[in-house]
Amino acid sequence: MSKKKVVHYINQFFAGIGGEEKADHKPEVREGVVGPGIGLNAALGDNAEIIATVICGDTYFNEHLEEAEAAVLEMVEKYNPDLFIAGPAFNAGRYGVAAGAVTKAVSEKLGIPAVTAMYVENPGADMYKSDVYIVKTGNSAATMGQAIPALTSLALKLLKGEEIGTPDEDNYMERGIRVNYFAEERGSKRAVDMLIKKLKGEEFVTEYPMPAFDRVFPNPAVKDITKAKIGLVTSGGIVPKGNPDKIESSSASKYGRYDISGFDVLTSETHETAHGGYDPVYANADPNRVLPVDVLRDLEKEGKIGSLHNIYYATVGNGTAVASAKKYAEAFAKELVADGVDAVITTST
Amino acid sequence: MDLENQQRVKDIAEKYPAEDIVVILGGAEAQSAKLMGDTVTTGDPTFAGPLAGVQLGLTAYHAVEPQFKDAVDEDVYDDQIGMMEMVLDVDEIIAAMNEVRG
Repeated sequence: MSKKKVVHYINQFFAGIGGEEKADHKPEVREGVVGPGIGLNAALGDNAEIIATVICGDTYFNEHLEEAEAAVLEMVEKYNPDLFIAGPAFNAGRYGVAAGAVTKAVSEKLGIPAVTAMYVENPGADMYKSDVYIVKTGNSAATMGQAIPALTSLALKLLKGEEIGTPDEDNYMERGIRVNYFAEERGSKRAVDMLIKKLKGEEFVTEYPMPAFDRVFPNPAVKDITKAKIGLVTSGGIVPKGNPDKIESSSASKYGRYDISGFDVLTSETHETAHGGYDPVYANADPNRVLPVDVLRDLEKEGKIGSLHNIYYATVGNGTAVASAKKYAEAFAKELVADGVDAVITTST
Repeated sequence: MDLENQQRVKDIAEKYPAEDIVVILGGAEAQSAKLMGDTVTTGDPTFAGPLAGVQLGLTAYHAVEPQFKDAVDEDVYDDQIGMMEMVLDVDEIIAAMNEVRG
């Protein structure tokens, strides 16, 4: 069997071009191996060979996402490789994002098996782990010695079309894919075994890991709140009486956009909550308890805030997927910005 | 080892025979000493610098190792390195350097 062809992607640092001062380096391609490709090539052995290395500066890639990605794809496609490897990026944030982005693009747009590797806390990991195989590495290049065999082991499986094992077996990050399998013991026994181990303080592996949510850091403080236009957004389900958009009481599939111009206060005559899962009596009796229109109108009159935006956005948080909530917010955040809203108060139940 | 220092070592190694060169390292941890030691013997293990894939095979010692300490003036050593010798994990560094020298 002839050696399979691999194209490798690295940043300007690992190409020996330079550090931060050279991070605006434009994409280029070199024949053969460069930098970590030396180690990867040795580990790939007789099975495969890195025939070309694509190099791009981290800053350049992240500031010219579309152009850089297109340029990299063109370079990769020219070599028609059997496999694409990016990184390892360890904990270098922009390198991780670039490696994740090119790995996804090569795999989805060129249909070439692709894999990358980085540290679990690299921002690129959260962004791309559900799209592509990301092999777990240590947080610095000092762990290159362990990263290379882990990366090439998964790469070779992909090359040979072998079945990829679980994230634990093949040392990559969980992609959120569920696969059925036959367990030797029934669920109740496995659960009790786990509980006993837990009580004894022994190690056990959960079969239902909790999702890891991203962290959202607050924006800088509003400079002058007395001039700011304040918007209201709620996941507490406050809707005009009758719930005109029929927002579901659980696992909401939509959000509503409602006008409150002319409302000094919400009442049980005008508004109600669509939210299930909690006793709605107090929210229905006085919807301002969830969506504080009354207090904000007072502050508006007192000149403590600039103004209250005349549109509020509402959905039901009960059982609603984080991904849906994120999608809704991405949509209406653009409207809020376009409407000149300076700050938003989000309320829940 | 940063890229500039790798280049300096490489330049020196091209100018003089390997047996005439000893590299004295000063890293504060065993792990970094090992990385630097590996860099000047078997090549940059991070594959980022000029010594990636370059096996210079130089001899390397850490400044807290007895081989170096015994070879230099005791007063100067105490003055320049004595303080660091007290705070560093010397045994771990020596073990790492022995690994480097195989």
